[in-house]
Amino acid sequence: MKENRGNFTADAAQAYLAYEPPMETEQLSSAIWTVTDGQGRAVFIVADSSVIAFDTFGSPGKARAYAKAIATVTDKPIKTIIYTHDHLDHAGFAQDLATDAEIIADEMCAKVIKLRGAEGQTVPTRIVNGKENELIIDGVTVKLLNPGPTHGTGHLTVFFTAEKMLYSSDTILANAKYGFLPDYHFCQFVNNMRSFLDLEWDKFIPGRYELTDRAGFERGCNFIEAIQIACQCAFAEFVPIWAYEPMYGYVHGKLNEEYGDLEGFNEHIGQMAIRIVHHYLMGGWGLEDTPEGGFNLLAETS
Amino acid sequence: MSDNHDHAPCEHCGIFTVAAQYGGNIPIQGAWRDITYDPVRDNIWTATDGAHRTIFVEGKKGVIAFDTFMSPGTARAYTAAIGRVFPKKPIHTIVYSHEHLDHCGYAADMAPNADIIAHELANKVIIARGSEGQLPGTEVWEGERKSYLIDDVYFEMLYPGPTHGDGNAAAYFPQSKVLFMVDTVAAGAGYCTLFDWHLKPYISIMRRFLSLDWDIFVPGHFWTLTRKQFIEVLDYWDSLNDFGQQAIIDGIDPHNWEQLNSYTNEKIGPKHAHDFRYYEYAAMNLSRYMQEYLSGGWGIEGNMAPNTNPF
Repeated sequence: MKENRGNFTADAAQAYLAYEPPMETEQLSSAIWTVTDGQGRAVFIVADSSVIAFDTFGSPGKARAYAKAIATVTDKPIKTIIYTHDHLDHAGFAQDLATDAEIIADEMCAKVIKLRGAEGQTVPTRIVNGKENELIIDGVTVKLLNPGPTHGTGHLTVFFTAEKMLYSSDTILANAKYGFLPDYHFCQFVNNMRSFLDLEWDKFIPGRYELTDRAGFERGCNFIEAIQIACQCAFAEFVPIWAYEPMYGYVHGKLNEEYGDLEGFNEHIGQMAIRIVHHYLMGGWGLEDTPEGGFNLLAETS
Repeated sequence: MSDNHDHAPCEHCGIFTVAAQYGGNIPIQGAWRDITYDPVRDNIWTATDGAHRTIFVEGKKGVIAFDTFMSPGTARAYTAAIGRVFPKKPIHTIVYSHEHLDHCGYAADMAPNADIIAHELANKVIIARGSEGQLPGTEVWEGERKSYLIDDVYFEMLYPGPTHGDGNAAAYFPQSKVLFMVDTVAAGAGYCTLFDWHLKPYISIMRRFLSLDWDIFVPGHFWTLTRKQFIEVLDYWDSLNDFGQQAIIDGIDPHNWEQLNSYTNEKIGPKHAHDFRYYEYAAMNLSRYMQEYLSGGWGIEGNMAPNTNPF
């Protein structure tokens, strides 16, 4: 059987796409579970008669492994998938997770997915818009929040009010393993993420790696902000900002004492610094990365 | 400004938020940098600070300058450089190539009273950004192609579709057979992680320019290129499409810096290790291309089907 390809064009990708990794499942409340393959992480809810799955993981094999992990805790079918954002590595393979499920996503996320046309990424069937949506799905209340541009397009964070948990994919991590920070919108990123601290929750579920608590989340926001400041200082003080080693040296030196204990700090801080300092050199990327947000070329998505 | 290039009392800050740490004046913003200049062809000149490059064109009464360089200090140095070539001719027009601050951020320091030509997509971002020192366009154009005859200088502005940044447009001088475009094609592997590039449509869109008659390409960085070199650079980026997906198939983690460099040297090095700035940027280039397959293109601009029609 040929796998859904996402954006891949090479036939040699079939084995990669088909691989089903072992999944680890953890119960977070009576109805809420989290699943990880060791890197990516998703959440699902066992509702009255069905399962509500957030995201799909990043390949057909991983989506099937996700479905199998869900099946180890319930025999209820997956009838709803909610996309946290548009990226293929989190929301690319609904066709392999649950072909006939209703797909819920933010309006702009849906537009980008339709435009992308990636094989295996189902176009959303139910659209939400605005900053806050409270949906009742199969007896479960789900609160979806979009505070403004953070990562990807049409990014939704999930607030589990009763359980006091927050799930946000590819925004804040419990460690420093951000790499080159792909498709992050730094103009308002930290402000928008900190807005979640106005809510009452005490457990944070990121889209990758380990869970953390409110203090870990707040420290994650502080970490990103500290890099933003250190990068500006590097630029201001004539560090050659386009070169890896000098940027690594400057920002590592500034932040190692306070954040050096974060897993992945030494390996990732240079890449993060290169990315973030260019925000100040170039001014942010597109309308999404301006104080008010927005989208150029919207007419292309109609 | 005094003759010994002291900093002005308070420089425009762009989008920096740390000015208070430096007594209100960020050191690099006011720093003077020598701008060198050379004739390109006919009335077209090129200027560079060693890394960034742009063009300026002599008109009958004044000068049309493209872009502003990356800081208030370099913008002033650019004005001074133009003044050395054309001491009696003021800069009456600035043309923005796109909206990024490192190329178009400081018109207020360069020629605050000049007319500013910008594509509407670039201008929207400039207005929304509100960066200190970056002036919005006074003559905003739309669509794909617009001809200008200003002060006896004829040129065409061409917006080919999403490539890099927003509203990134080329300037075409058909009588001189010169094409100028910023942050799209430049020598070697010189663009880090391809910041704000829209990779899905990029190569097809850039090849549209091959339908025009030109033999000198002036990029936004480093040195001018021939038509053949322009094509070779596009071929390099095209090859990264294949390397990007192969790297994922081969199990490379795009965030693992050591692994990424080792893999890049093994796979891309044999053909490109002698390319300009290969060792600085090829691994970063590859990392960005891998994301195209892992996460998909980014946003609307990164997912559009390219218009491949010739100009």
